[in-house]
Amino acid sequence: MAAQPTTHPQHGRTRPTRTLVLGLGNPLLGDDSVGLRVIQTLRPRLLAWPGVEVDEECCGGLCLMERMIGFDRALLIDAMVSGAEPGTIQVLAGDAVPTQHSASAHDVNLGMALALGRQAGAALPAAGDIRVVAIEAADCLTFSAECTRDVKASIGRAAETVLTLLSEWR
Amino acid sequence: MTTQRISIDPITRLEGHGKIDIFLDPQGNVADCFLQIPELRGFERFCLGRPAEDMPNLTSRICGVCPEAHHMASAKALDALFHVDPPPTAKKLREMFYSIFYATDHTTHFYALGGPDFVMGPDAPPEERNILGVIKKVGMEIAGKVLKMRADGHALIKMIGGRAVHPNWALPGGVSRGITEEQRREIEQRGREAVEFAKFSIQLFNQIVLGNKDYVALIVSDGYTHRTYNMGTVDAGNRVNFYDGMIRVTGPDGREHAKYRAREYRDYIAEHVEPWSYLKFPYLKKIGWKGFVDGEDSGLYKATPLSRLNAADGMATPLAQKEYERMYDTLGGKPVNHTLATHWARLVELLYAAERWVELATDPEITGKEYRVLPTQTPDEGVGSVEAPRGTLTHHYWTDERGILTRVNLIVGTTNNYAPINLSIKKAAQHLIRKGVVVTEGLLNRVEMAFRAYDPCFGCATHYLPGRMPLTVFIRSADGQVVESISRDGSQAG
Repeated sequence: MAAQPTTHPQHGRTRPTRTLVLGLGNPLLGDDSVGLRVIQTLRPRLLAWPGVEVDEECCGGLCLMERMIGFDRALLIDAMVSGAEPGTIQVLAGDAVPTQHSASAHDVNLGMALALGRQAGAALPAAGDIRVVAIEAADCLTFSAECTRDVKASIGRAAETVLTLLSEWR
Repeated sequence: MTTQRISIDPITRLEGHGKIDIFLDPQGNVADCFLQIPELRGFERFCLGRPAEDMPNLTSRICGVCPEAHHMASAKALDALFHVDPPPTAKKLREMFYSIFYATDHTTHFYALGGPDFVMGPDAPPEERNILGVIKKVGMEIAGKVLKMRADGHALIKMIGGRAVHPNWALPGGVSRGITEEQRREIEQRGREAVEFAKFSIQLFNQIVLGNKDYVALIVSDGYTHRTYNMGTVDAGNRVNFYDGMIRVTGPDGREHAKYRAREYRDYIAEHVEPWSYLKFPYLKKIGWKGFVDGEDSGLYKATPLSRLNAADGMATPLAQKEYERMYDTLGGKPVNHTLATHWARLVELLYAAERWVELATDPEITGKEYRVLPTQTPDEGVGSVEAPRGTLTHHYWTDERGILTRVNLIVGTTNNYAPINLSIKKAAQHLIRKGVVVTEGLLNRVEMAFRAYDPCFGCATHYLPGRMPLTVFIRSADGQVVESISRDGSQAG
């Protein structure tokens, strides 16, 4: 299914909308890797979507903000620890996510990183154009190349959620 | 006594789900402080049975804070394991790559983490004590400068190392590819800009921090002073080197205590275990563990930017050497035992990293085509170390004759400082929390400043939401009951 690129109002009518779909996590750290696994499921299905870039990162804060420069919209997929049942999927507004680095001690949270980037004049997605698909993790502290059972079982549903959100944006 | 539970806002600039317990004596004064943090589990088990040559890529995934440091320490451990000495071009490329990483990393710490405490002031409200506050105070252009410095660093790390965050470049015996003359020119150009940025950062520190007598008084105050041993890697002339050399340890009086090769580390370093923490506490074996106390008779040592400067006789580049001399002249000579001076030392290192970056980018051998020697000997055991921004990083691998890992031991940067961090917190708390004194946000921040100076990272590369790993400060009576816990906004509940 090929999607037609839309034009983002913020950037006028001359350029197609650029959307970043980014899985986040450490591939060696059990459930922390779930965002990467969702991306691996999605990658072949998103190849035909013009204007959509699909990637994986193990970073947060400043680095994550820097990765979003040049995009009109960003959809992040990440593990979450909120106390919900493992495998629960939530969709959050990007600017509201209280993420603190992740990859860096030594970093600021995403909201502050975005504010910094905007102050520096970086071309970043607007607050309403960043969304996060968060998957509740059971264990992000044990090194493992596998996700735990319930988290693994949620990968397909999370991928569908991402596709639905992308369709809404078109 | 009423037990109060106060809602906790997390510390905003420390990785790890931390907890500080402050124990009070019957008079209400601070008796003890313990910082507890969680540990990622099972890394050694994860590695065993894998080919050793996977380690530079695997270990760079342990921790997102300094993947380049793990990548380098791991590659050096593989050099030793496979008994191969990389050619000069490979060593220079690795060191140049590492200098670029250092400049980028130290920039982030100064502007985003440690700097706001000084630029905004330790008593500024927390909503202003961050990088946005710094921009507001110093000027909009600083945001662009910081982001440019980071962007340049990441672009070059990607150009040289293959990937922006987790390089896949260093191999036993060298690196997987060299650089072209065109790339060299770009690296040199950006390096020269990095030198200017480092000079600008030092100037900023001079104006805002050293120009304020209250801040200088805070830096040299007794609450932030510990007379511990200092560790750092030095070159043949005893000057600071991040990539290679001998590990040198000097005493609280500045005299040399030990100087050894990385492979000898177990003759000099031992690890103490406490029942309340997963992490071990390294200490100097020949001095011994005497508890969380400083002084010449205690084996505690620090491995920080300030420690590296203390453990060395100088810097190997001209501008950094001048700054090194100015720092010691200003703070009363070597060694400097004031924890908060670590921020200044970090800027001296930033300047050194940028200068070294240019030096290596203009070295005639840097574009050489011999950047790898193929290993031919049977692997057995190897140790590699570098100076990570947060302290001496040691990787130690054992394999069978096929090169399959049978044992792995790592001593990571911050771990070196775990005991001194506890000591620093305790001492700061002792000075700031006394019976009758209400603990305010500013006071709490000053306790936090004691460990922020170490730029601590407790190996948590996790990127799960909500990454607000809370730091909880509990103040307990002598019998362990929670008397008070503290939040950044001072709100109280329960």
